[in-house]
Amino acid sequence: MEAQPDQAVMLAVRDGDVEQIGVLFERHHRMLFNFFLRLTANRGLSEDLVQDVFFRMLKYRQTFQAGTNFTSWMYQIARNAHIDQARKRRLEVVPDDEAAWDSVASAEADPQERLEQAQEIRLLRRALDRLPLEKREVLVLSRFQNLKYSEIAEVLGCEVGAVKVRVFRAVRELGQIFLELSGEKAS
Amino acid sequence: MNCDDVRDQLPDYWTGAMDEAAKSAMQSHFASCAACRAESETLGAIWKKLGAIPEERPSRALRARFEATLEAYVQGLRQAERGPSTREKLDKWLVGWWPREPVFQFGFAMAFLAIGLLVGYSLTRNTQDSGEVARLREEVQHTRELVALSLLQEQSASERLKGVDWSIRVPQPDPQVLSALLRTVDYDQNVNVRLAALDALHSSASNEMVRQGLLQSLQRQTSPLVQIALIDLLVDIRDKDAANSLKGLAQESGVNPEVRVRADWALRQLQ
Repeated sequence: MEAQPDQAVMLAVRDGDVEQIGVLFERHHRMLFNFFLRLTANRGLSEDLVQDVFFRMLKYRQTFQAGTNFTSWMYQIARNAHIDQARKRRLEVVPDDEAAWDSVASAEADPQERLEQAQEIRLLRRALDRLPLEKREVLVLSRFQNLKYSEIAEVLGCEVGAVKVRVFRAVRELGQIFLELSGEKAS
Repeated sequence: MNCDDVRDQLPDYWTGAMDEAAKSAMQSHFASCAACRAESETLGAIWKKLGAIPEERPSRALRARFEATLEAYVQGLRQAERGPSTREKLDKWLVGWWPREPVFQFGFAMAFLAIGLLVGYSLTRNTQDSGEVARLREEVQHTRELVALSLLQEQSASERLKGVDWSIRVPQPDPQVLSALLRTVDYDQNVNVRLAALDALHSSASNEMVRQGLLQSLQRQTSPLVQIALIDLLVDIRDKDAANSLKGLAQESGVNPEVRVRADWALRQLQ
């Protein structure tokens, strides 16, 4: 049996087959977890937010219309969940130590290379954490969550062109922060 | 293609979401513009490096928590679905009882009001019997007694009158208050205060101590007003033991004639 597309599953959920939300959880919880982890750098908080997203989906399931892009809809909910949570804590970021990131580098590289790669990744993560939230958000959506620019535009409620400009600016600022951090490290 | 166009297209260029024609247009711009080429290379490198950040795994607890909460949610939902149907039934049943005619509706409302009042009345009566109210009442009584006793000691006659007044407010005065009132009847300099104390003792006249005290007082009193009031009181409570004292009073020559007449009348009343 061929797997049903997300949209069809969500429509079934909307029409009363509530338990089908489990299918969507299986498909997306890991992506969502990484999305929140990159925004908050806090594992516990990210898990809470994933849970929150799926229950918001249930709560607002009647608003899901046929023809809606499920991915955009889900990330809209995810984004709101994160905003609400941040407002509640009155913090943009809940900083966590690097223990939040457990696996660091790929296992195939030789030890020296692995060390360098690990350091670079650590720097990149620190640079990401320093990026203002709106830029971090657009960058995470485009680079890690593999959303199309049109989908991001739907999530953020803006034009596709504006998304591209924001992505460009986010990468440029990230690059600057990354360079600064590398400089600190080198000196 | 100018530099601004190129910047706008860079994200597409990195992701590869770009057709060949656009890609070659970008590359030809890079060949002529060193600034854009440099920027594209630096930022492209950052973009590529980001890809090295590995994906993380959430803990197993997340799935367990999700499943548990989902189960609870589904159960709650089913209950909510069942809920309205039972309520509808109840509503229907209740509507069946409700009369159509406004007159009967009014009657219904009145009947319920009456039931409510009855229930309320019986409930408040019950609470009055509860320990707390009893304790409160006791405390109030105690306070009144204290006020009465202390006022009876006052210099001013009007204050002592107030004291007598307070003693009347004590439903069942204790012996201390009663003996203070008897003392007032016997020894207070002011006739009005003595008369008031006598009135106050009226309700406690069945008390043995009060009765004895009043009998003795009859021999002590010199004021005709108080004597007459005392005689009336003794008649009121039909005190047979008063006969001897009354006889003495009726025959004593030094006593006010009106008092003697009253004592004589009292003797006849008591026989």
